[in-house]
Amino acid sequence: MGRSRVASWVVGIILAIGAIAVVVPIVILFLSSFKTKASVFVISLAPDTFTLDSLAKALSPGLLHALLNSLIVSTLVTVIAMFIHAMAGYALARFEFPFKRATFVIVLGSLMIPLTTILVPLYIVVRVMNLTNSMAGLILPLLFNAYGIFLFRQFYLDFPRELEEAAELDGAGRFGTFLRIVLPLSRPVIVPLTVAFFLGTWNNYLWPLVVNQDQSLQTVQVYLANQISGYNTSWNVVIASAAISVVPVFVLFFFLQRELRDGIATTGIK
Amino acid sequence: MTTYPRGRRARRDSLAAVAFLGPDLVGLLVFVFLPIAFAIYVSFFSWNLISPMQFVGLANYQRLLTDSEWWLSLGRTLQFAVIYVPILFVLALALAVGFTKLSGRVSGVIRTAYLMPFAVTSVIASTLWLFLYQQKTGYLNAFLNLLGIPDQPYVGSTSQAIASVIAVVLWTNLGYTSMLLLAAIKQVPVELIEAARLDGANAWRTFWSVTFPLIRPTSVFVIVTSTIAAFQILDIILVMTSGGPADATEVGVLYIYKRSFERLEMGYGSALSVVMFVILLVISLIQLRFTRRSNLEA
Repeated sequence: MGRSRVASWVVGIILAIGAIAVVVPIVILFLSSFKTKASVFVISLAPDTFTLDSLAKALSPGLLHALLNSLIVSTLVTVIAMFIHAMAGYALARFEFPFKRATFVIVLGSLMIPLTTILVPLYIVVRVMNLTNSMAGLILPLLFNAYGIFLFRQFYLDFPRELEEAAELDGAGRFGTFLRIVLPLSRPVIVPLTVAFFLGTWNNYLWPLVVNQDQSLQTVQVYLANQISGYNTSWNVVIASAAISVVPVFVLFFFLQRELRDGIATTGIK
Repeated sequence: MTTYPRGRRARRDSLAAVAFLGPDLVGLLVFVFLPIAFAIYVSFFSWNLISPMQFVGLANYQRLLTDSEWWLSLGRTLQFAVIYVPILFVLALALAVGFTKLSGRVSGVIRTAYLMPFAVTSVIASTLWLFLYQQKTGYLNAFLNLLGIPDQPYVGSTSQAIASVIAVVLWTNLGYTSMLLLAAIKQVPVELIEAARLDGANAWRTFWSVTFPLIRPTSVFVIVTSTIAAFQILDIILVMTSGGPADATEVGVLYIYKRSFERLEMGYGSALSVVMFVILLVISLIQLRFTRRSNLEA
């Protein structure tokens, strides 16, 4: 007994040291955003040269505009994706119709086609549709991630039929039943997927970079990357901008950390 | 519940299915499958987006066969995957096993800590690590100096650039991957573990002969998806090094990106995309063979 106690203490200490090493860069990110250009590289835990100057410089209209754009794009993608994927997953789980298997194979097949691989042809397709430099061009290609459909289908396969049957007897149509009975009870799958789609879209750098040259639609990741590649990188401002743009995601992360952890455990989504 | 006549019910179902599945199917066809068909089509042409497309037959494919820059970049992708995937898997597995030994509040806090970099997006992670990697003034070199190790160049040198980028990718994905493995380990029936212990096996043996074989499907899933992810790392490299120094981090997808969007060789870029797609398809098919079919069908 005593031996396994000691062993679990040793494991705990090793894991804690590792955890500190993993978190320290994030702590440095936030602390450094309170430093000046001269002190940003000085190692000190409590910034003796504490200043809001860098943060104020970072909070330019450009960054705020980019943050707003990212918020709009991520929210629209998440809301629309939840809705259409829930419907598609529900149909695949519940309805009997011709070519059902073929449809499911198409959905699964698309999982094997990651965005990076089709970046070039996707750009060409969107360009042919005349959607480059537009909100629609930014959003549409990010919606169709079949993981959403797949996970909703898995969820609805285990969903109790009785509720829907009662609603249908009351005269509600397929869509009415789905909207009023099924969707409100889908929280266990909607929460982790919402986090996944929101984070995924917020994080996406390549697609906005490629499809959009319009300054007014610039997302925050593109804005940040441009700041680094600029000449004379002022690290204090760059780090402060990065710290500001990570805050919305961290808020979401901390509110939903439990569900996110369980979500990964049950669904394996990113 | 068969209150409806069969035929009517089926027709109602079919109509509803069209309405429910319509948006997704159209979207998947236009934004996922059409680009692939288009890539194959464009790969037989020479096209700079501006002047009209010119049919060149198999010229783009012949060109890539002898394009040493392409093969070198593909080699770097392979090098990236061969270093990244085993380290990720071993560390994540060790972490997951470690987590099972902890309980209570502390365990939740520690797991959340490992998961935190996952919430730092790749551009911000790249920015942050570029900052830490700074040569004369950076935090990492200052830390190494404390330990008596001289300054390292990190992304500034051809020999350390790939490893430095891999470290960032590991940092962001380690916690997430260990959660996947932890979930699998937790599903191993306690009775099996206890039976093995009663038979006199120590913890080490029990893990390798009971737990490890039982989490094989998840292990395969983790290894294959991280390999596919490793083949596609583009954003972090683009921000941190743009392929430099001296092409040391110019991986396959970055080479495709540069040919297509910097030199506007859309035909050649499409041919390269098709080849990359086929490589990833083969890896995915291997995964499908290994993971039980029932996982997808159930």
